[in-house]
Amino acid sequence: MFWTILILTAIGLLCAVLIILAYRFLPKEPQSLKKAEKINENLPGMNCGACGYPGCFAYAQALSNDKKVFFSNTCATVLQDEKMLSGIEEALDIKVDKSSLKKKAVVACSGNCGLIGSYVGVESCKAANKLLGGFKRCPYGCLGLGDCVDVCPSNAIRINIKNRVAVVDPDRCTGCGLCVKECPRNIISLVPAETKVVFLCSYKDIRDIPGREKCESGCIGCRKCYKACPNEAITWNKETAMPEFDLSKCDGCGACIEACPLGKIVRLSDVAKKINE
Amino acid sequence: MNNTASLITIFIGMVIINNMVLTKFLGLCPFFGVSKKLANAISMGVAVTLVMLIASIVTSVIYTFILIPFDVEFMNIIIYILVIASLVQIVEIVIRRTNIVLYNALGIYLPLITTNCAVLGITLINATNNYSILQSIVSALGAGIGFTLVLVIMSGIRERLEIAEIPKSMRGLPVAFITAAFLALAFMGFSGLL
Repeated sequence: MFWTILILTAIGLLCAVLIILAYRFLPKEPQSLKKAEKINENLPGMNCGACGYPGCFAYAQALSNDKKVFFSNTCATVLQDEKMLSGIEEALDIKVDKSSLKKKAVVACSGNCGLIGSYVGVESCKAANKLLGGFKRCPYGCLGLGDCVDVCPSNAIRINIKNRVAVVDPDRCTGCGLCVKECPRNIISLVPAETKVVFLCSYKDIRDIPGREKCESGCIGCRKCYKACPNEAITWNKETAMPEFDLSKCDGCGACIEACPLGKIVRLSDVAKKINE
Repeated sequence: MNNTASLITIFIGMVIINNMVLTKFLGLCPFFGVSKKLANAISMGVAVTLVMLIASIVTSVIYTFILIPFDVEFMNIIIYILVIASLVQIVEIVIRRTNIVLYNALGIYLPLITTNCAVLGITLINATNNYSILQSIVSALGAGIGFTLVLVIMSGIRERLEIAEIPKSMRGLPVAFITAAFLALAFMGFSGLL
């Protein structure tokens, strides 16, 4: 009994000492990795893979080779954190304009459309989508089974059970884009964080207006938003009979929000309230 | 197995008769995870062989000179885990500091195979069969080469499967598992060789 404890402790200590010795006394890291190490200190270390690289260290290596990678594959978590962002700016010698890079995810559906039938099966949007295109009347609506909820690393998405729709909380969303890739119906998209208003309908069929048949709160093509906008930020697409938004002209006056009788247009900051409606 | 088994018997046994992946079903994670491209497969195979070799040498030395004299052979599992994990960490630090090209080629696989069951498996097989240090070295070399061989075969098949027409629900991992099952059946033909 005594020998077992002694041998185990001795071997454990020996391994620890060898690791420390290797770390201290081996020749220093080559220059190319040193820069990557320094950049890596300012990365979150979550290894979530949203940037497209296998882990934060691989992202740091890519950044040390080419600064522009930060703009093409931005790490959303770094953008949220002041300390990390200034560290990266210093390490890479770049200036980052936060407002242009920060993005938020929006689920373009307000739910509460009718069901074709009751769904009994695997509780996953991808599975339900393969079965006759989903159990909702609207072929573009959110199924609300939560594939996006599971994949979000910041816990920013919740399901509104009454309307069977997923809602992204913009305050928690970091804009990493993992939910965009996960949604089998492709109704989640990334918008710039300064967007003032969002339109919650993804209907795409031509000349068939959702509100009439498919969705209780679907866009009915009344054009009130189009007429209400003072800055010509909303244009009317005659083929799909739905509004189209040019966000560069929007100044957030909210005229369209009041004009829409069905509440399909909401302020980005109010989206979180839809979780409880 | 007899302790006086010749080195050639051990080597051939480990490569094709008692193949780590297809006969013993150890090390399936890297087998299915890394076998999509031939270049990655070779890098992974070389990394696993290297780790198996070093781990076998060190663990058989510990077994012969420490565990047997003190009559504590039953501790070999936990001590092997400790030693293999530290060893791979040291190997990774050494490669990172000395040879950057090698690190970029296979550095990312070293943390992945630290406590892979194939590496622990080969060291425990050496202990169970009571191999001497030289026999352990040959056995680990054979196991690593066998693993690399099967990984290369699998990656060749999977590269062609990528462009074949496979039913949508079977693409990716399902058809890979079925392919591996066929390979295992084929390798069963070697079982009566020695």
